[in-house]
Amino acid sequence: MTALLRYQAALLIRSHRWLPPVIVYAAFLAIGVQTGGPILDAYGFAAAGLLPVAVWLTRVCVTNEPPAARNCAAAAATPGRVHLACVLTAAGAALVLALLGAAFVALLSDPHANDHQVAVPVLPATGAGLLTGLSCLLPGVATGALCNWPVLRRPGWGVPAGLAAAVLLLVLGGSPANAALKGMITGSEHGTITAPWLPFAAAFLAAAGATAAACALSSRRG
Amino acid sequence: MSQRMRLDGVGRRYGMRGPWVLRDVQLDVPVGALLRIEGANGSGKSTLLRLLAGIDRPTAGRITGCPRTAYVPERFPAALPFTAAGYLTHLGRIHGLRTPEASRCAAEWLERFGAAGHAHTPLAELSKGTSQKVAVAQALLAEPELLVLDEAWTGLDRAARGILDRVVAERVADGGTVVFVDHDPRRLAGAADSVYRVAEGLLLPRDGGTEERQAAPVGPRVVIEAEGPPGGVPGSAAHLPGAPDIDPGPGGTTRLTVPAAHSDALLRALLTARPPWHIRAVTAAAPPPGTAHEPPDDTSGAAHQATLPTALQDTPYEAPLS
Repeated sequence: MTALLRYQAALLIRSHRWLPPVIVYAAFLAIGVQTGGPILDAYGFAAAGLLPVAVWLTRVCVTNEPPAARNCAAAAATPGRVHLACVLTAAGAALVLALLGAAFVALLSDPHANDHQVAVPVLPATGAGLLTGLSCLLPGVATGALCNWPVLRRPGWGVPAGLAAAVLLLVLGGSPANAALKGMITGSEHGTITAPWLPFAAAFLAAAGATAAACALSSRRG
Repeated sequence: MSQRMRLDGVGRRYGMRGPWVLRDVQLDVPVGALLRIEGANGSGKSTLLRLLAGIDRPTAGRITGCPRTAYVPERFPAALPFTAAGYLTHLGRIHGLRTPEASRCAAEWLERFGAAGHAHTPLAELSKGTSQKVAVAQALLAEPELLVLDEAWTGLDRAARGILDRVVAERVADGGTVVFVDHDPRRLAGAADSVYRVAEGLLLPRDGGTEERQAAPVGPRVVIEAEGPPGGVPGSAAHLPGAPDIDPGPGGTTRLTVPAAHSDALLRALLTARPPWHIRAVTAAAPPPGTAHEPPDDTSGAAHQATLPTALQDTPYEAPLS
């Protein structure tokens, strides 16, 4: 598995296909995170942007290998493990972005609530911000796994389906990403920090389930 | 291979309502065998090979005893952002080798196929033939227990095709199993232990393997005259690479006749036997009357090469295609 992860990570880095999502996310942060803005709000904003970026990175990783090369690796390591390595590489890349985004927010934002009066401690706020980021990142990875080969196989459908799912996950109440973001936004109004453990757990389970389903299908769909 | 691989009532179709590409396949894959699969285009050969290689899972039935496997696709137009050596090192690690071992094996296999000069060329810039050499090298890195070749010879130059023939014989001699598809009926002619045919989704045995092969040998054969220790042939002929025909030769020697692809492996087995054999002569077998041997290439220059014993060929490395 280590060898597969190393291979997929090298493939992602050398293919330069990580560049567009990273640039879009950087632009998103540059526009939305203002110097001296309330910290919890900024963490919420940074986390929301991670969801579509995670969908995009997952699409990049699971479509990065030509079928002939994928078959060679699959014969050596089973198709399920090859696919798992693709999804984990995407999750790892999104996690790096989440950490960089969190560092950016921590450096620029003002550790106060929206009214700039109530102080918000930076360390717990960063912890809650990272957990919110994961609660958005993991549903993004799950969406990416379900909206591409081997689950959704029609070429051309992956991008619109992934985009629509990303928007719905951010907007619809009941999605882990939405619940975690709401916690950050209301917390920012009152200066209270709520670590979104429950949304994170739900997001983790959803991502694990979606990845397992995609990996199981990878040897059944030619 | 810890246990013998077995396909039991295996069927495969794509999609919920798609037609059955393969139905009710019963196949025992013996350890150390060379299996040839034949069939028309679109008959399901490649699907069968994908099932054997573990790339596809059967829709019906089951496959047991899956060994360590490597697969060579027919075309390897890998637009991957690696150099040939870099890609092979990654694949070697995926096959279970450690990094230094993987890069050493990668260099060795590229050199054997005459592509050492392209080790540091990006895969995207390689010619079709050199890409195919990389695909073949990838599968051979870790000495797989099961080697699955889906028209792996396509696109290789003549020298590389000859090397691959011999590598297949070596793998079989070392106890590995090789399953291959090739549209050239002369490919490893007479060397396969069993031949199967895929037609209308069914897998049918084509001829009776060893007995039939000896009755009607096809393809170039090599005669090795060797002098063994008193007591004669080591083990039974079936345990020697290529299952040679054994006859007493002149002056107390033993004449062993094998398909040309197996001659190197047989020579190695004889020379490394305990006690070792002495090789007196290696010659091309006279073709049986009535069977005109076509060279494995359409160029007239290959006509002599085809009947020469492979052991005596001075491995004619051609300049890699570029």
